[in-house]
Amino acid sequence: MNSFFKNILIGLFSIRSNMTRVILTSTGLTIGIFTVSLVTASISSIDKEFAKSMEYYGNDKIYVGTWPWSFDFDWWKYRNRPKIDESSLEYINQYSEYITDVSIKKNTWTRASYGNKASWVQLNGVYPSYQDMLSGTKIVNGRFFSQNEWDLQRRVIIVGGTVRDGFFEGEDPIGKKIRLNNVTFEIIGELKKQGMGMVPGGTLDNLVIMPSTTFERILTRWGFDELVLQTNADEIPQAKEEVGMIMRVARKIPPGDDDNFAVNSADAYQAQFNDMKNAIAGMGFLVTGISLVVSAIGIMNVMFVSVRERTREIGLRKAMGATNFNILTQFLSEAVAIAIIGGSVGILLIRLTVFGISSFPIESFNGSTLPVSFDIILVFYTFMVCVVIGVLAGMIPARTAANLNPIDALRDE
Amino acid sequence: MVKNKKEIIEIQSVSKIYNLGQTVVKALDNISLSIYENDYISIMGPSGSGKSTLMNIIGCLDVPTKGDYKFNSELISEMNDNQLANIRNQKIGFVFQTFNLLPKLNAMQNVEVPLIYSSLGKKDRTERVEEALSIVGLQDRMTHKPNELSGGQRQRVAIARALVNKPSIILADEPTGNLDSKSGNDILKFFSKLHKAGNTIIMVTHEESVAKLSKRRIDIFDGKIARDE
Repeated sequence: MNSFFKNILIGLFSIRSNMTRVILTSTGLTIGIFTVSLVTASISSIDKEFAKSMEYYGNDKIYVGTWPWSFDFDWWKYRNRPKIDESSLEYINQYSEYITDVSIKKNTWTRASYGNKASWVQLNGVYPSYQDMLSGTKIVNGRFFSQNEWDLQRRVIIVGGTVRDGFFEGEDPIGKKIRLNNVTFEIIGELKKQGMGMVPGGTLDNLVIMPSTTFERILTRWGFDELVLQTNADEIPQAKEEVGMIMRVARKIPPGDDDNFAVNSADAYQAQFNDMKNAIAGMGFLVTGISLVVSAIGIMNVMFVSVRERTREIGLRKAMGATNFNILTQFLSEAVAIAIIGGSVGILLIRLTVFGISSFPIESFNGSTLPVSFDIILVFYTFMVCVVIGVLAGMIPARTAANLNPIDALRDE
Repeated sequence: MVKNKKEIIEIQSVSKIYNLGQTVVKALDNISLSIYENDYISIMGPSGSGKSTLMNIIGCLDVPTKGDYKFNSELISEMNDNQLANIRNQKIGFVFQTFNLLPKLNAMQNVEVPLIYSSLGKKDRTERVEEALSIVGLQDRMTHKPNELSGGQRQRVAIARALVNKPSIILADEPTGNLDSKSGNDILKFFSKLHKAGNTIIMVTHEESVAKLSKRRIDIFDGKIARDE
């Protein structure tokens, strides 16, 4: 065992005397490791962000609207569909077995102002029941509006984290009055801040919630309505099918005609997100695979050159008592060391890149940074990959060296 | 010949046959030979006579096709590669015509090479290396690389490397072939000194003057021993 490490040292020593060649050879591996690390880091970061965004929609909710949640917009088909209206909710309440709670969700954007500050905010008009259907957030200060306030169309609102920070900068917003579309509203509740989202419409904190009755009276001109339906997370497919049938009844669609509404849930995004993720991963791993193969061939080539150049040395070492295994170990450790050098440079690059990206906040992400993170486990995997590649690439040249006949090798010019 | 000394090498009816496609070359043809402790032998012969093959077999770099080769009563002709490597490491010191020093290692590191394949620890190795280098008179050149040494000094480093494992025999293949006559004479004087100190030396040469210095001379011709006196 002692001589095993001595042979590794001999291998490392010969690397030191050929540094330029080693660095050039290991560049391919550097690129490969850099790519695979970047892809893995991006995917795990995107995953985290996406999971957060999914919370905004909730995995136990169904949304009924005129537009399906997909990226293949068939604009002319959907734009002329009749608006979603609350009368459908009566049918769902009456006939559905899967839906436990319902609310309308009226959406629009409007200008909000407080003193001399102004900003555009997203507005939701909902039922009092929506309090229990908030997902990914909750009331952290104050309260939700009551049934009574809804009945009386009171001008009360619950605000998201961005609205609070923008207007009140840490002050308690409860009881403060802000103007929306030039009408004064009183803040009665505050939502927990969620952070940046990745899904369309997923700007989670720039939000104001009010009774849908108030919304209708004051802000009815623009925007769109959807139905938010509460069900069980594991019954989403059945619930969607059932809701689809009830909606056809509610909207009196003759048999054979197409739906003029869309039943959506967060898993639709999940499927598309997975496609996107797989595409990124596929490309990344393809590039990585190619560069790993190329770099393995490069290492193998350099090792053959090394064996050729040092044939006499091999003969001499064998005459001095080196066994075949001694020589094999020496050349294998040289190959593995080249691979590890390449991999380490790759890790260093990825570390610098992640550091570079994460230390510059980007304006369009509301001041937060790009979602990239560095995982220490990557270092371990990289090390393993390098060892495997080094052994694979070095095996044939090292065996050639080990099996040289010492007499012929000594005679080599 | 003095027969009361301990027999180190016993070669009995050894042949080495190379099969080169259609032609069969008998490099060694039924050779028998004994080598004793503290022998100083020169092996002579024209090129192609088989003397290199004999050296390779004695040096355990090659095994005979036929016949028995015993080294310290151990049967070498039936050993595998690892056992042969071990014998070379422990029992045999090689000195080559072209020195065969590793150019990137200094004198000490070159001398250390055989010890790396033995089981000695770092401290013992350094001691042995320093001892061997002072025997050859290079204690003040220990950290010099081969290209910083003269031909004679290089060959002395090679001799130190051959001595460092305290081998049973020293095998020298034309040790003065690449040296000017003065350095060559120095090396030969040194071999005589080593012989007087009790070492067993086997030297291949084709120079009469070199062979005269040895105590026993073996001539090889056409794979057979033509003279042994």
